[in-house]
Amino acid sequence: MISANLRFEGFDAASWTKIISLFAPGVVERIESEPASSDAPEQATPVGIEAPRGTLVVVVDDDDNVLRATNTLTGRVTGIPATPIAAVPDIARLYGASQVVWFRRGTMEELAERLAMRLRPGDDYGAQWLVLARVMRELGEARLLRLWPNSFAGVPIPSMPMLSRALDVVLPDGHAAVAVLWQRGEPWTSVAVRRMGGEIDWIAGPDLISRWTGPLGGDWRRDHRVIAAAVARNMAPVHVGLFSEEHIVRDLLRTPDAGRWARAAAVRDIAFYPTPAYVGVALGADVVRSATRQAASFLGGLKLFESIAPIAAELRSRVTDVASVSAALGFNPLEALGRFLRGEDRSSLPASTLPAPEESGADNGENGQ
Amino acid sequence: MELPSPTAYSKRRPKAPVLKGRVLDLGADEIPLYSGALHYWRIERRFWRRTLEAVRNLGLDTVETYIPWGVHEQADGTFDFGERHERLDVGAFLELVSELGMYAIVRPGPHINAELTYFGLPERVVHDPECQARSPRRNPVIQPFPPRMFPAPSYASRKYHEEVGRWFDAVGQVVGPHLWPRGAVVLTQVDNEGTFFFRNGPYDQDYHRDAIDRFRAFLEERYGTVAALNEAYRRVYSSFGDVPPPERFDAHEANELVPHLDWAAFHEHLIGDALARMRQRLHDAGVREVPTIHNIPLGETGLPVSIPSIARVVDLVGLDYYHPAREHRVVKRRTAYLAGTFDFAYSPELGVGAPPWFTPLSHHDSLTVAMTAAAYGLRGFNLYMAVDRDRWYGAPIDARGELRTEASAWRRWVQAMRRVRFHTLDRRAEVALVVPNEYRRLSRATHLFGGIASPSSVEAIGGTPVEGCSEEPLGFKGPVQILWWKAIARISDALTRAQIPYVFVDSDASKDRFEDFKVVFSPTFEFVDPTRWARLRDLRASGAHVVVGPAVPTLDERMLPFDAGTGHGFDVALFDTDADAQFKVEDWIVRFGIGRPYAAAPSLVETAGHEDEHGLRMLFVMNPTRDAINASVTLPHGCRFEDVITGQEFLAEHHLEIRMLPQSIRALEVIRSPEAASNTGAPIAPPAAEHAAKPTAAPAVEPEPADESAPTADAAKPEAAPRRAPERPRRATKRKRSPAQRSRRASTPARAPKPKRTTLGKASKASKPSKPTKPTKRTGARTKKGKRK
Repeated sequence: MISANLRFEGFDAASWTKIISLFAPGVVERIESEPASSDAPEQATPVGIEAPRGTLVVVVDDDDNVLRATNTLTGRVTGIPATPIAAVPDIARLYGASQVVWFRRGTMEELAERLAMRLRPGDDYGAQWLVLARVMRELGEARLLRLWPNSFAGVPIPSMPMLSRALDVVLPDGHAAVAVLWQRGEPWTSVAVRRMGGEIDWIAGPDLISRWTGPLGGDWRRDHRVIAAAVARNMAPVHVGLFSEEHIVRDLLRTPDAGRWARAAAVRDIAFYPTPAYVGVALGADVVRSATRQAASFLGGLKLFESIAPIAAELRSRVTDVASVSAALGFNPLEALGRFLRGEDRSSLPASTLPAPEESGADNGENGQ
Repeated sequence: MELPSPTAYSKRRPKAPVLKGRVLDLGADEIPLYSGALHYWRIERRFWRRTLEAVRNLGLDTVETYIPWGVHEQADGTFDFGERHERLDVGAFLELVSELGMYAIVRPGPHINAELTYFGLPERVVHDPECQARSPRRNPVIQPFPPRMFPAPSYASRKYHEEVGRWFDAVGQVVGPHLWPRGAVVLTQVDNEGTFFFRNGPYDQDYHRDAIDRFRAFLEERYGTVAALNEAYRRVYSSFGDVPPPERFDAHEANELVPHLDWAAFHEHLIGDALARMRQRLHDAGVREVPTIHNIPLGETGLPVSIPSIARVVDLVGLDYYHPAREHRVVKRRTAYLAGTFDFAYSPELGVGAPPWFTPLSHHDSLTVAMTAAAYGLRGFNLYMAVDRDRWYGAPIDARGELRTEASAWRRWVQAMRRVRFHTLDRRAEVALVVPNEYRRLSRATHLFGGIASPSSVEAIGGTPVEGCSEEPLGFKGPVQILWWKAIARISDALTRAQIPYVFVDSDASKDRFEDFKVVFSPTFEFVDPTRWARLRDLRASGAHVVVGPAVPTLDERMLPFDAGTGHGFDVALFDTDADAQFKVEDWIVRFGIGRPYAAAPSLVETAGHEDEHGLRMLFVMNPTRDAINASVTLPHGCRFEDVITGQEFLAEHHLEIRMLPQSIRALEVIRSPEAASNTGAPIAPPAAEHAAKPTAAPAVEPEPADESAPTADAAKPEAAPRRAPERPRRATKRKRSPAQRSRRASTPARAPKPKRTTLGKASKASKPSKPTKPTKRTGARTKKGKRK
């Protein structure tokens, strides 16, 4: 999935940090946090912090006695009582942490051993991460490790063939994808990705993309065609392009309502150009779901679905035709990402509410990571 | 300042380069180590010349490059040095470096990282089970960096060293002809960040059978007899071959710690031993006659290395710097360690930009960190990267040789370093904090986060080296593995608040590094390394005030009874609270007359003055806080300063008032004139015009916007006095340039010509700041004869 000869170029610290901020806000929070007041910082405990912050790492022995606790932003935490795995959310609240990594002594060593045993020389980076995810889930199921909140609990871990099929839909071989975000009329950040020989082999940033496009007009609703054409000339034919304002995408990534993507596209808050079949279908399907939900709400529960059922049926048939990303993976990755960015914990939800994997080989662990 | 120019090689003296103090002695020239990194194989060959010229344009006369084994070795096992791919012609590249009159530092690995897949090693080597490091269960040890996780090689593996030897043979044939004085290569590096490929948790590796053999040989050398080992281990082994390496931390009491401390010490030994073998192999391959260096990555306190021990294997060891500006405290600590432990504080990788899978670093971050490191004593550096490349961002020169807007600030910075001969300056420090290696090893042994989140990795991402240590007391009064760090941190925090310069000295450092301090602090708990204790006693006997504590040790590092002796004369102190440390520091100020040179207000502002034989030459003012501050710095006499980045000038009598933006630093060069430098009450020349008249173009990217950085109403008045022309670096011989070279030089874009410098003499003797009565440590300053270059 990721080439050993991956090229990464055309970014600067600002443009790269902006991309990270969309998908891993915790990293940026750490970067931008107040420097520690000491070379050996300690957090007063317990604290009544209004806004939880930092990740609390807790290591316990076999009797759940805390051997070490430290908050990544505030430092060493002392005096934590014995913490069984079930008490992790309580510890987070008590000690003002937004996340907790809890594990039993020796778990990290166990993780390293299992990872080493299962990796194969031919594995690419995607396959290697899937192995790591499975190992972490195993350790979670063995109650040796807990991440809180765990947005991915219950999400099936796809097999490598499943992941490849999903990638075939999102970005077919020999094609490029581009995303450009603006902020108040100025390009904010951008990234173009190429897939060649079955693997992602080139990630290009704003410096390179702007060199390819030359001066732009300043209106992304017009510029996006020029950008897509420039990327196509210099990288590969563009399969999908996403163009919008930064705050809109940031909100959409976090929204629990998938229909908002369709509404944003409908009102031109976001543009997909080109629009591959899977995006068109996904947007169409979202429109249907969203419209249905809204109408039902307005009319006090009166179901209007019957009136638009033919349209929905047509869209569903196309979903099957193009083998949507969700179908290939066994879960909706955008939805999972949204839960992660919202910090939702799914570890206590019953498995029946989660989408079932369509293929054997998918790991549908409940308590794991 | 004269930019490096082509040299007539025939004029070079046939002398092998020698590191002499803080310069490289090349016979005809003595050059300070200011270089920039460029990866030839990542640059189109047609741009080699332009990029090298651009590096020279930054003021850097030396280019540094890796030589990547995994790139040069082809699938059939042969090496391509340009025969098939022109970018791989490292010989031609070095020839071009020579033609341009520049010097070269080469780093042939074997490990180079450089964000290359498999860290620059051939795939067949990393996947050879015989070459792989082993976990406690004898699995490979996986290095998780993108774009491929891979098994880390073993530093003990005979097979790996054989493979390395084969690579070095090839390197020797290509690089050998380019060694100084025949060619441009003046330094070479042995391996890279020799720290077990960042998989350096205490029980992460190396259980390779060759490593276990070496472990047992190490024990035999350490103990001499099995009986001695049995006494320390509280076990009954019949031979050293029976001793198993610890595979996890299972100690609960002090007397169970010894095998774990030995294992931690063995890790240090293994790295030093491997580097020595590699250095010898490189020498055997024909890469000799040039000094060797090695670089240590971030998180050095948590690393399984003894840095002074590595400095005994190679000629120069330094630290890498990749920090955001907010990590001011870390940059200060690391540099104060380097400057305290070595005479020459050097950075083989002073980050300019960063790889994408690291903490994002902006231009402001890189420049601020470079200047902060200089403020605390960094005397030589390699800007990594000077030229941009794949899997990197933020270099001041792009891959076609075009200078980016950020380049101007870097050029001014390098020019200033050369102009003031920064490598010859000193910063006074009268207090030393000794880092105890036996406690550092205990911290490593009790680390609970495993090998992927190893002690050094946690430290590298902004934590402390004891962040993952167990809180178990292990039979002591408290968790020594945490408390030693806490004690040192409390003292260093108190010293910082009191604005007292200090350095850290590694307990393994050479004896001369401990001398000449008024106060030496070294934490001691229930056990101690007798060598450290003896050294502290020597220091006390020589007149230093030695502070230890909170406990007088009763055990040695084998947990056998230790007689601390009577009448040691140490001040045994408790540091249970920050107030304890504050009280102690205030006591030192009163009792020993510890100076606070260049004191600043508010106290959160930090300063660092660097002096030559005539007094202050460069003053750094730092604001590590997130708020803008109007700072006031007390000066021993009137001074004229120039901000070396913005070009702003300041005239100050005894107080310099200066506006500091959040998390910013200013480097102020002292402009010397007979009047301004005099300390005899002679008036300082009045400003000729307002700052607005300053002709200097503001750098495109720098931390201080011109309007924000303007002095406040009470500030020293900026001047529009003629700027001085850059000072030419001293050269023993004048270099000749060919017409073509002169032409190239003429076509190089240059800054607007500056008015000729007014006469600025050296400060009179009377202008020297008063010296303390006791000789004080000049951080990494002195030659053996006590003379500075």
